[in-house]
Amino acid sequence: MAEQSSPDWMALARRGRRHRMIFLGTITVFLTLVSLPVVMPYLWLLTMSVTTLGSAAVMQVFWRAAGLVAVLYLALIVLPPLMPERFRTWVPAMAAAAAVILTTLFILPLTTLNNFRFLWNPDVMAAQQGRSSTIGELPSIWSAMGNSFALAGTQTALILITATPAAYALSRLAFRGRETLSRGILLLHAFPVMALTVAIFIQSYWMGLLNSILGVVLVLTTLELPFAILILKTFFDAVPWDIEMSAVTDGASRWQAFRLVVLPQVSGGLIAVGTFTFLRGWEEYVYVTTLLIDNSHMVMSLYLFWVSQDAMGADPNLIAATGVIYLLPVVALYVFAQKYLTQISFGGIKG
Amino acid sequence: MAQIAFEQVSKSWGETEVLRPMDLSIANGECVAILGPSGCGKSTTLFLLAGLYAPTSGKVLFDGHVVNGVDARDRNVGIVFQSYALYPHMTVRANIGFPLRFQKVDKDDLSRRVVEAANLVQIDEFLDRKPAELSGGQQQRVALARALVKQPNILLLDEPLSNLDATLRMSMRAEIRAIQRRLGMTTLIVTHDQIEAMTMADRIICMSRGAVAQIGTPDELYRRPADTFVAGFIGSPPITLLEGDAKGETLHIGTGAMTLTASTAGRITLGLRPEDLRLGAPGQGGLPARVVTVEPLGREVLYGVETAIGRLHVLAMAGDAVPPAGEPAAVQIDAAHSLLFDAGGRRIPNLNIRP
Repeated sequence: MAEQSSPDWMALARRGRRHRMIFLGTITVFLTLVSLPVVMPYLWLLTMSVTTLGSAAVMQVFWRAAGLVAVLYLALIVLPPLMPERFRTWVPAMAAAAAVILTTLFILPLTTLNNFRFLWNPDVMAAQQGRSSTIGELPSIWSAMGNSFALAGTQTALILITATPAAYALSRLAFRGRETLSRGILLLHAFPVMALTVAIFIQSYWMGLLNSILGVVLVLTTLELPFAILILKTFFDAVPWDIEMSAVTDGASRWQAFRLVVLPQVSGGLIAVGTFTFLRGWEEYVYVTTLLIDNSHMVMSLYLFWVSQDAMGADPNLIAATGVIYLLPVVALYVFAQKYLTQISFGGIKG
Repeated sequence: MAQIAFEQVSKSWGETEVLRPMDLSIANGECVAILGPSGCGKSTTLFLLAGLYAPTSGKVLFDGHVVNGVDARDRNVGIVFQSYALYPHMTVRANIGFPLRFQKVDKDDLSRRVVEAANLVQIDEFLDRKPAELSGGQQQRVALARALVKQPNILLLDEPLSNLDATLRMSMRAEIRAIQRRLGMTTLIVTHDQIEAMTMADRIICMSRGAVAQIGTPDELYRRPADTFVAGFIGSPPITLLEGDAKGETLHIGTGAMTLTASTAGRITLGLRPEDLRLGAPGQGGLPARVVTVEPLGREVLYGVETAIGRLHVLAMAGDAVPPAGEPAAVQIDAAHSLLFDAGGRRIPNLNIRP
C-alpha cells in the first residue's frame, strides 16, 4: 500500500464538476430546442392578436416579444441553478421587473386592441371597412362563451356525479364480474370514438337531442366516463380500507364515512378529473359540429371556426384575438388545478 | 362494559374458511389477547366482534344478546387499527372528536371530552396538528384516544404496538394496560408477539390456522401448553422440540435415550425450554454435550449444544462459568418442567422425563 500514490482528489473533483456541467448543459440545450417549436405558435398567436397584419409593427412586436421571452427564460429557469445561492432570489425578481418595464416601453406602444372589438361589437365585419360578410350573422362571442361554459360545466358535473360512485364501487365492493367490468371500461376508453359519429348522430336525431347543448353534453359524458372512472378508481384504491372501517366503528353510517372520510382523501382526484373533463368539453369540436347543426347554439370552437371561414377572406388578427380569448379560461383553470393534476397516476403510484 | 361470547362462530370468504367454528367467552372487564402467527384468523375474530364482518355461521353475543344483525356503528366498540387509520385531513382534535359527532353531545361537552381523552394518553399538546405531523407513537396515542372518547363497551386493539420501536413498545404496553385497568373495559388485543400477549392480557387465546389452539392464562400456556404449536409459539428463546420413539419407560431420541415417569409407546415429542436447562463442566452429571454456538443476549447467553438426543438450546446467565465453544460440557435438565407430546402433537398430562 505504501508504494501506491494516493489519487489526485482535486483533479477528480474538477472532473466530477465538469461532468455534471456537461450533463446539465446538454439536457438544458436539448429541451430548449425541443420547446422552441411549441412556444413559437403561442407567441405568434399573441403577436397577431394585438397587431394588424401588413403593418411594420407585426415583426417588431414578434421579435421583441421573442427576445423578452428568451431573456426571461434564461433568468428564471436556466441560470438560477448555476448561480451562487445569494443571487437566486433577486436575479429572477429583477428579471421580472425588467420584463414589465421593457414591455411597457417597447412593446405596448406598438400594439392595438382593435382585434378584440368582437368583445363589445357583435357585428365583427361590419366595423371593418364596411365589408359585408357571411359572419355578419354571428352571435355575440359572449353567448358562445356562455354556451361553452354551460356545455363544459354540465358535462363536468355529470361526470363527477356518475364516475365517483362508479369508481368507488369498482375499487371497494366485491361483486361478481368486477374485474371484467374494469377491463371492459379500459377497452371502452381505447375504442376510437370517431367511429361512432354517424351512429351517435342518428341516435340523437331519434331522441330529439339534435341541435341542443344537452345532447352534446350527454354524448361527451358517455364518451369521457370510462377515463374518469379509471382515474378516480386509482385514487379510491389509494385510500386504505381501515380508515373507512374506523369511521364506521366510530358511529358513522356508510354514507357518512364516505362523505366525511373517504371523499376528502380523493378531493385531488376529483379536481383533476373535473379539470380534464371541463377542458375536454371546452375544446370539443367534432361532436359540436356534428350535433349542433345550425348557428343558434354557437360554442367557442364553432365561433372560432366561423370567424376563420369568412367568404370575403379571413382576418388573421381577428382569428388570433378570438384564439386568445378562447385560451384564457384554459390557462386560468390550469394555474388553479396544476397542483392536483400532477397527482394523477395509473397503477397506484402517485407521480 | 360488556361480556362477550361466541357460539360456534365461523367465517368463510367464498370457499376458504378463515375461521373455523369457534366458542369463546370473555368476562366483563377482562383483558384478553388473541395470539397467533399471521393469517391465523385473529384479526377476523376482532372484525367479527366489531361488526365489520358478518359471521358465516354461529352467534356473537354481547351480555347474552345476539348482536349478529347489529351494525358496527351501533355496537359501541372502540377499535385501534394496526395502521391507526387516523383521518389524515383532520386535526388531532377533530380525529378524537369524530366518534362524538354521531352522538347527541353538545359542543362544550364534546370539546371537554376530547381534551380528557387526549390527557389520558398524554397528547393534549398536539391537539391542533394533523396526523402526518406526529411520530408513530403519538399517532398511536391519538388512535387510542379516539377509540376511548366515546366510552365504548369493548375496546379492540389490532396489533397496537407493531409499528413502534422497542423502547416505546415497552412503555406503551404498560400504559395501555394501566388505562384498561383504570377504565375497567372489556378489552381484546390482537397480536403476533407473545411477549405483548403475556404481559398485557389476563388470558390468552392462542390461535392457529383459523382455530383456537388453547385458551388460558399466560402461565398456563407457558407451563401447560395444549400442543406442540402452543409450546413452540410461547416462550422466547423458543422451546426445543425433539422427536423420538417410546418403548415402555424408555424414550429413544437420536442416538440417546431418556427415561419416562410412566410407560407409553409410539412417536413422542419431547419439549425442553432453554431456561429449564443448565450447562456445566463435564463430569458434574447430566447429559454429555459439546458447545456449538454462543449467542450473548445481554443479561443472558444462549448456548447451542450438541448432545446424543440432538441439538439443545440452553439459556444461562451472562456471568455463569460455562465451557467455551468447542469444549465438552454437560447439560442438566429440570425434568419437572419437561413437556411430552403424543404423535398428534397433543401434550400428555402427568408425564415427565426422569432426572
